[in-house]
Amino acid sequence: MKRYVYINDDESLQELYCDNQISNRKYTVLNFLPKNLWEQFSRFMNQYFLLIACLQLWSLITPVNPASTWGPLIFIFAVSASKEAWDDYNRYLSDKKANEKEVWVVRQGIKKHVQAQDIHVGNIVWLRENDEVPCDLVLIGTSDPQGLCYVETAALDGETDLKTRVIPSACMGIDFELLHKIKGVIECPNPDKDIRRFDANLRLFPPFIDNDVCPLTIKNTILQSCYLRNTEWACGVAVYTGNETKLGMSRGIPEPKLTAMDAMIDKLTGAIFVFQIVVVMVLGIAGNVWKDTEARKQWYVLYPYEGPWYELLVIPLRFELLCSIMIPISIKVSLDLVKSLYAKFIDWDNEMIDQETGIPSHAANTAISEDLGQVEYILTDKTGTLTENRMIFRRCCISGIFYGNESGDALKDVELLNAVAGSSPDVVRFLTVMAICNTVIPVKSKTGAILYKAQSQDEDALVNAAARLHVVYVNKNANILEIRFNGSVIQYEVLETLEFTSDRKRMSVVVKDCQNGKIILLSKGADEAILPYAYAGQQTRTFIEAVEQYAQLGLRTLCLAWRELKEDEYQEWSLMFKEASSTLVDREWRIAEVCQRLEHDFEILGVTAIEDRLQDGVPETIETLRKAGINFWMLTGDKQNTAIQIALSCNFISPEPKGQLLLIDGKTEDEVCRSLERVLLTMRITSSEPKDVAFVVDGWALEIALKHYRKAFTELAILSRTAICCRVTPSQKAQLVELLKSCDYRTLAIGDGGNDVRMIQQADIGVGISGREGLQAARAADYSIGKFRFLKRLILVHGRYSYNRTAFLSQYSFYKSLVICFIQIFFSFISGVSGTSLFNSVSLMAYNVFYTSVPVLVSVLDKDLSEGTIMQHPKILFYCQAGRLLNPSTFAGWFGRSLFHAIVVFVITIHAYAYEKSEMEELSMVALSGCIWLQAFVVALETNSFTILQHLAIWGNLVAFYVINWIFSAVPSSGMYTIMFRLCRQPSYWITMFLIVAAGMGPVLALKYFRYTYRPSKINTLQQAERMGGPILSLGNIEPQPRSVEKEVSPLSITQPKNRNPVYEPLLSDSPNTTRRSFGSGTPFDFFQSQSRLSSSYSRNCKDN
Amino acid sequence: MNSNTPSSSAGRAGSADSAAPRRNSKRPKYSKFTQQELPACKPILTPRWAISAFMLVSIVFIPIGVVSLFASRDVVEIIDRYENVCVPESFRNDKVTYIQSDVDKICNRTLRVKKLMKQPIYVYYQLDNFYQNHRRYVKSRSDSQLKNNNSQDDVDSCKPEDNTADGMPIVPCGLIAWSLFNDTFNFSLNNQQLAVNKKGISWKSDRDSKFGKNVFPKNFQNGSFIGGKHLNSSVPLSEQEDLIVWMRTAALPTFRKLYGKIERDLQPNELIQVTLENNYNTYSFNGKKKLVLSTTSWLGGKNDFLGIAYLTVGGLCFFLALSFTVVYLVKPRRLGDPSYLSWNRNPGGH
Repeated sequence: MKRYVYINDDESLQELYCDNQISNRKYTVLNFLPKNLWEQFSRFMNQYFLLIACLQLWSLITPVNPASTWGPLIFIFAVSASKEAWDDYNRYLSDKKANEKEVWVVRQGIKKHVQAQDIHVGNIVWLRENDEVPCDLVLIGTSDPQGLCYVETAALDGETDLKTRVIPSACMGIDFELLHKIKGVIECPNPDKDIRRFDANLRLFPPFIDNDVCPLTIKNTILQSCYLRNTEWACGVAVYTGNETKLGMSRGIPEPKLTAMDAMIDKLTGAIFVFQIVVVMVLGIAGNVWKDTEARKQWYVLYPYEGPWYELLVIPLRFELLCSIMIPISIKVSLDLVKSLYAKFIDWDNEMIDQETGIPSHAANTAISEDLGQVEYILTDKTGTLTENRMIFRRCCISGIFYGNESGDALKDVELLNAVAGSSPDVVRFLTVMAICNTVIPVKSKTGAILYKAQSQDEDALVNAAARLHVVYVNKNANILEIRFNGSVIQYEVLETLEFTSDRKRMSVVVKDCQNGKIILLSKGADEAILPYAYAGQQTRTFIEAVEQYAQLGLRTLCLAWRELKEDEYQEWSLMFKEASSTLVDREWRIAEVCQRLEHDFEILGVTAIEDRLQDGVPETIETLRKAGINFWMLTGDKQNTAIQIALSCNFISPEPKGQLLLIDGKTEDEVCRSLERVLLTMRITSSEPKDVAFVVDGWALEIALKHYRKAFTELAILSRTAICCRVTPSQKAQLVELLKSCDYRTLAIGDGGNDVRMIQQADIGVGISGREGLQAARAADYSIGKFRFLKRLILVHGRYSYNRTAFLSQYSFYKSLVICFIQIFFSFISGVSGTSLFNSVSLMAYNVFYTSVPVLVSVLDKDLSEGTIMQHPKILFYCQAGRLLNPSTFAGWFGRSLFHAIVVFVITIHAYAYEKSEMEELSMVALSGCIWLQAFVVALETNSFTILQHLAIWGNLVAFYVINWIFSAVPSSGMYTIMFRLCRQPSYWITMFLIVAAGMGPVLALKYFRYTYRPSKINTLQQAERMGGPILSLGNIEPQPRSVEKEVSPLSITQPKNRNPVYEPLLSDSPNTTRRSFGSGTPFDFFQSQSRLSSSYSRNCKDN
Repeated sequence: MNSNTPSSSAGRAGSADSAAPRRNSKRPKYSKFTQQELPACKPILTPRWAISAFMLVSIVFIPIGVVSLFASRDVVEIIDRYENVCVPESFRNDKVTYIQSDVDKICNRTLRVKKLMKQPIYVYYQLDNFYQNHRRYVKSRSDSQLKNNNSQDDVDSCKPEDNTADGMPIVPCGLIAWSLFNDTFNFSLNNQQLAVNKKGISWKSDRDSKFGKNVFPKNFQNGSFIGGKHLNSSVPLSEQEDLIVWMRTAALPTFRKLYGKIERDLQPNELIQVTLENNYNTYSFNGKKKLVLSTTSWLGGKNDFLGIAYLTVGGLCFFLALSFTVVYLVKPRRLGDPSYLSWNRNPGGH
């Protein structure tokens, strides 16, 4: 489980660990073909097509030239294989570039220039400023006398600030020259992908100082792909190389996501497959019976009386091949093509460019756009997602005195400014904690201004606020901090930093005042992590009140505290801390325990309140999307009050009396259980009322609920349209996504930070906001957008269009294949059930891959409703959510249409071209052109908006059909020689075509007209209104919008000004006891249940207005 | 404070997709296509549109139907079914034996011309229940052999009529050629021979480029089981027009093949004597044989289907247009009425 790295040992380790050759490649030249083919053939569709293609090689049964299947099959495979090959080649090139980069490495005690791929574990690597780190290194020396260096880790975690890295204490002060000869051993864990942890030990061999074990942490490492900044040089020992680095290990191929639509298409494909088998069996049996009874009499067929053993199989297999076109081979290619275009439309969308940063939206996953239109639940992070994550220090409470309450900005509060000017000791201490209790690095820019590089927005806000209040954090030189206050410079020596973890919820620093040598502990943290540890006798009531008051305003609060340490207390604790931080097992937990020993008996200094403003357009976006029937859950790590306030201010929940909040809390199982049941009961009762009911749960109760009362909680999740989960951990966020997914809901998770990554990856659709917490979430996400408000457009416009378009395209693909297949089946009845193909190979192939694929591809431009109409009537999204446009019943409609059209084409053709005209090639061409004409009109009828491209594709395709067939007809060796010229000269041909079109489209048009006028769907009604400019377009404006009025009222008075408890006890009203949906009534009815759930939530939604 | 340090594992964060920062500079260019804002026409099915579309169809279709029907009715057709009457009474119970025997198969028929038949008059033979489109049959031919003298051995696709018993390739090979129709018809009018032109009955394109001028029948109908007509082995295939016509396989089990053309007018009530040799065996599968004399129109032969279909479709469209109009007048419906949107109705109306 451990690896021992011997520093600078040229022999022993070379074999043990891999070298530093990075390889992201999936294939090699040799295994590309087999591996890629294997991957492609692991899909059912491809296996099916391969089987068909192989069967076609048997000339006895093949109805057409094998090329008609092999051609498209090879084409499809070639396309996806060359795409893979191209991607892999690019990966190879970038690998090669990285691998062949020259770096300085110590070999046999001499610094040499070698290629990056030749670095071995244990080598000492030298880096200069702005070099990229070639592998994971443990620092042993830097140009800085204090052993510091700065790295930029943007490529690793997306955080753009500079991070400090420091050499281990054991290497401190080693001479520059000696670094070449250093020997020692590093004991470190096996490679893993945790970029925040490195629990290792270092021991240097004599003559280098003592052979004490020196603990190493992630602070002592610089990881692959980081850049060295602001440091002249640094050197380190390679510990992980090649693909075993932290970066290499965290690389992984994410699971491909399958959209609900894909699943539905697969299901329909399966149904068609079953239908095909049935047809084949029936026709096969009929064919064999006919052969035995009739064909023996047809002497000119010369059927042998004794056939081979497989005789009985021949006819069914022929029909299998004949019917194989039922499953269109082109659907996969068409879908891939249009899906990548949907993604491109998202990338290209000008209205989703973040105007501030100029970052356009990006669809990293090109395959799931349709799912956007089917979203039912949105799980959103709060900080940075709903809010801007731009922290501004607004208010504070120092020693019981509130600052900034009047003006709303403490920095302008005269009292506070006076207190600072008067050097009031409480205020100065408070500001000192604000200024130095952090991990911020001040950087002097060339103009002399001080810039702060902070990892946390909160710290940045505090330090900046302190600077505005004249306590300026000027410089950090190794362990010495300098702050300037009223013209004098005060120096502190940082002894220890007790870092923030989400468990501890606080961070502390231990500093020594360089003037008087006092050792002080400075802490800041969440109220519940600080206030309980106040020294006995301190009144914390005002602070609790302050925290609550601030929280109700939606401000983020931090409590600041300090304590003077005695010299010996510190020394004693310091030893423990050092020991804890050098353990390899459970280090984090041990450290937390040790920290606990120091962090008590605080003197609370005060409370800071930081405002995190809502992003533009958040309330409107949430309101629109909720009208669209999407349920919102807010998952935040923040505290309950803050979360509720933010939720209120962004329309997430409605204030009383329209809204109602139900609280699930409790510390024990029983309490949680009781409150869960109470909430559930209320929820059932009120669900029939037009009320916004939301439940609130905190992380602790959630954990119990998920663990012990999963079923009840699931029911609650189904009943509730809104939920607020506070104090939840990243893994709980992911669990909640999983819970909703397990109920067959389409979930969308949106977040901006590293803590949202798991939720984003877990959800059906992950959306990342490329915000201030780095790019982690945006990278892990399927879609990255710049602002929360773009979500509205992403779902309502892009998601909805994608869904509609794919619904049409996929069903149409089946329709056109079925038409031609039905004609073949009908023809078999007049050709002695012998499996003759009416159409020749060329026509069949061209029909599938060309004549019918091109016109339908332009349906990616089709818009049933304009964007403005959708935005005004977001409820129309319901059609997509409920899958109204692609489901077995719509598919049955298309199936019926294909049957009808096949009958029309077949009957008209064989009657118009009977007797002396019944020549095979002519008749087949008449039938084929009949199909093509019908297809053109079907596509035209189903198109809602004709752009020039659509006209070109639909009518141009019809012209192209004739041109192509004229070309074929001009080739003497082809079977179609002169056929098309002959037909085009016959008036009867054209008359037949018009007849087919009129007979085929008439009923379809009549039915559509009838539905459109007398049974219009909501989409139709909106279309009509939109085109006719009816009164409906103004409807959106007269809808009451009470919320916008309330927003203007000062935030303090939003709700419950008197009532401390923001959670109302359920009002047991006299409403009829109707349970809308009893949970757990079995999964077989899941489909109908989710339908009914949708419609009921829909109607519930309607009542709101 | 909680957001200070994201505590989750890095996940996929490090997947080194360096494209992300680079993307910033690459703002998408504006174009109507990329913004999906191409000018579009969005037709909707208003009653006016639907009704006038159906009206238009009926207005166009009914005249065409009438014209087609007249064209079809103008065609004069004489059909004589002969396969039964040409079997002597003694063989009526066992026609197959008759047809396979060497008895004299001459049969005389008299056809009466009902109406004036303008030249050219096409002479067809019509077969019923004959599956020229049977898979086994339709594939049994070799186009390369028919065309090219050098590819005589190209008979793989011709099974089972590919080679003679001693392994010589048959030209033309295959079931289609082998089963060539061999009834013959001789026409006389008022005891005068009525000339039937058998030149130019096949497609010119077939004679020119599908059947070779230097390909001669070889080993044809030499087997023990004779299928149909024998071919004169001194005449190249390109001039064997009966074969060329026969080899254009029919797609339907009932079909007519051109036998020849009579190039003079026939007056009403003229009697045509047909002397036919009833050689072809359709008795084993109960197939009918008919002799058809027919004139032609711009629409082809006598076929009422198109005319009737046009009238039907036109009539139905007229009816639909009418009923839509009536319904529209009786029960007008405002398009795009917001009250049809369920969310604008009373709760529960959905």
